[in-house]
Amino acid sequence: MNVVVSKTKAEQQLAEQFEARAARLPGAGWVREARRKAIGAFAAFGLPSRRSEAWRYSDLRARWKQVFAAAALDPGTFDPALIDAALGPELAKLDCIRMLFVNGTFLRAEMPASEAPGEAYRFDPLSSCLGQPSADWMRPIFQRPARSSEDAALTLNTAFMSDGAVLAVLEGKTPARPLHLVFLTAGEAPASSVMRNLIEVRKGASAVILETHVAMGTAPCHTNSATEIRLHEAARVEHIRLVREGPAAMHLGTLTASIGANARYQAFQLALDSGFVRNGLNVAFDGPGGRFDLAAVMLAGKGEHIDTTLVVEHKLPGCTSRELVKAVLGPASQGVFQGKVIVAEDAQKSDGKQMAQALLLAEDAEFDSKPELEIYADDVICGHGSTAAQIDEELLFYCQSRGIPRQAARALLIEAFVGEALDKIDNDEIRAAVGAIATDWLNAGKV
Amino acid sequence: MLEIKNLHVKLAEEDRVILDGLTLSVPKGEVHAIMGPNGSGKSTLAYVIAGRDGYEVTDGDILWNGESILDMEPDERAAKGVFLAFQYPMEIPGVAGLTFLRTAVNSVRKKRGKPELSTPDFLKLARERAGKLKIQMDMLKRPVNVGFSGGEKKRSEILQMALLEPSLCVLDETDSGLDIDALRIVADGVNALRGPDRAMLVITHYQRLLNHIVPDRVHVLAHGKIQRSGGKELALELEKSGYAEYSGKAA
Repeated sequence: MNVVVSKTKAEQQLAEQFEARAARLPGAGWVREARRKAIGAFAAFGLPSRRSEAWRYSDLRARWKQVFAAAALDPGTFDPALIDAALGPELAKLDCIRMLFVNGTFLRAEMPASEAPGEAYRFDPLSSCLGQPSADWMRPIFQRPARSSEDAALTLNTAFMSDGAVLAVLEGKTPARPLHLVFLTAGEAPASSVMRNLIEVRKGASAVILETHVAMGTAPCHTNSATEIRLHEAARVEHIRLVREGPAAMHLGTLTASIGANARYQAFQLALDSGFVRNGLNVAFDGPGGRFDLAAVMLAGKGEHIDTTLVVEHKLPGCTSRELVKAVLGPASQGVFQGKVIVAEDAQKSDGKQMAQALLLAEDAEFDSKPELEIYADDVICGHGSTAAQIDEELLFYCQSRGIPRQAARALLIEAFVGEALDKIDNDEIRAAVGAIATDWLNAGKV
Repeated sequence: MLEIKNLHVKLAEEDRVILDGLTLSVPKGEVHAIMGPNGSGKSTLAYVIAGRDGYEVTDGDILWNGESILDMEPDERAAKGVFLAFQYPMEIPGVAGLTFLRTAVNSVRKKRGKPELSTPDFLKLARERAGKLKIQMDMLKRPVNVGFSGGEKKRSEILQMALLEPSLCVLDETDSGLDIDALRIVADGVNALRGPDRAMLVITHYQRLLNHIVPDRVHVLAHGKIQRSGGKELALELEKSGYAEYSGKAA
């Protein structure tokens, strides 16, 4: 029996928008076909609601009321001099190689004169790759079938992606500087942008990748950003991702990572000053002896919603995964952490640990923590822990009795709480920059 | 001068009276000891002087240098010179000891109208004071009190006291959990801070500490008020006879 579920306004608008725009989106032939299939799957499955297990705390179907027009890159709508202001002083002054995207379209690369591009890495905007025959290697990625409404973010991304970073760090190489993928939204009208990044770190290569999503103005923006990252054998990546798109923003982030033998993927995520953020991570070990670390800091101000949902698959033996999530939740805010670890039958000596901690700074703050361990092997170490608490009044009194005023004591304790996750960033400059951003937020009186 | 006048304190959440008309004066330059049986209200007295939540003052007052401090926040009292050495000092994970100390010292200096210490100047001061208490600088790089033994925590309290330069020191069972050597180091640290401008209130259960920190006056606190006061010999007398005489007395 077929139950006809009526489509929401957003679901209809998405279908209409696709019809109107499909012809002008980059890529022909199999790419166009893949997009069509994706929108078809979306039409069949729809947006995920809270009845969908992976989205039960972030009912996207109920929340998404209006689909915004695609953002356009109109050089008149933004002043390049304002890019640094949008990034903020801490990120603007970093010594790095910047790939600038505005409203989902590649603008330019910026780097110090001494940098020799192309030596340690190759970068191309996705829009220029999609039309080429050489893009054939991307087929398995874009032709990946959708399984249910749970995959909606990725499905929509395939359908609508306009641009992104295609980045390869060459075998055995290490770029001299961090690679900074900057995604800015500019303009006065509500707009949406859809980006897809394909990152490959080849055998024995290592890189520091910083990915920043920032709004230049206050216009509401919808961002759908998906990144596929593949680490070959013995590759090492530190990937720091920051989302700060404004109180009216809706950010859907999907990260799909595959980690090769003895490779190490160290991920750090910070979300703040954003109305709704859903960061999904799907991590799989492709070879034995790999390691995945995630440190996530979720700073939710009044009424904000941040959801970090993670699936880590230990398919092969001897791999290690570690996740540490810290949420600071202000009035009427919601933090969500769903962490699923699957250990396959042959994945002996798997080592997986998870810790999710929330600091509830208001009576009506909410933290939902759902760890899931699916273990089929019998020689593994897996564990998880979760805490949710208010600031310890005794500790506040101790600090005050030493002369530290209450507000400063509060800030000190919250910083200490978040600091444990911030300390996981290896790169000194980026750690200092991210630390300063978090400290500024804490001292801005948002919580 | 510390003046506690007819202080009546009950628990904020319950109707339990802890201090029942306590009157006590500690002039500057003197060390007074408060001894008493368990549950007599010794720690409550310490907490109420420092300004901890959870207590309600139903009558009476606490004056420090002629000014009532009951309406002041704990950090305001600290700026006025009040320092409480905790019986169970707290651990603050994630906050390095030196950072905490520098923040506290500069907060208090700011309120007292003094210029803040630069980091190098502060480190120099901390190194000097820590050395006297046999505290290694490495220990202060760790989070506050995390992984410290009982004795190390108590020495750390005295270091805080030495750095904050308070004028009223309230020591809440500073000797609990200390072995002889630790006791000596702590006592030496406290004695080094005695002076004509400083008043000290040493709360203790056992007489032993008072061999090292010799008091000017000893008071017996039982049933929520001072039952008896005397010189340092009173402590020795209590050691011999115990608190039985005071446990039976009606409030």
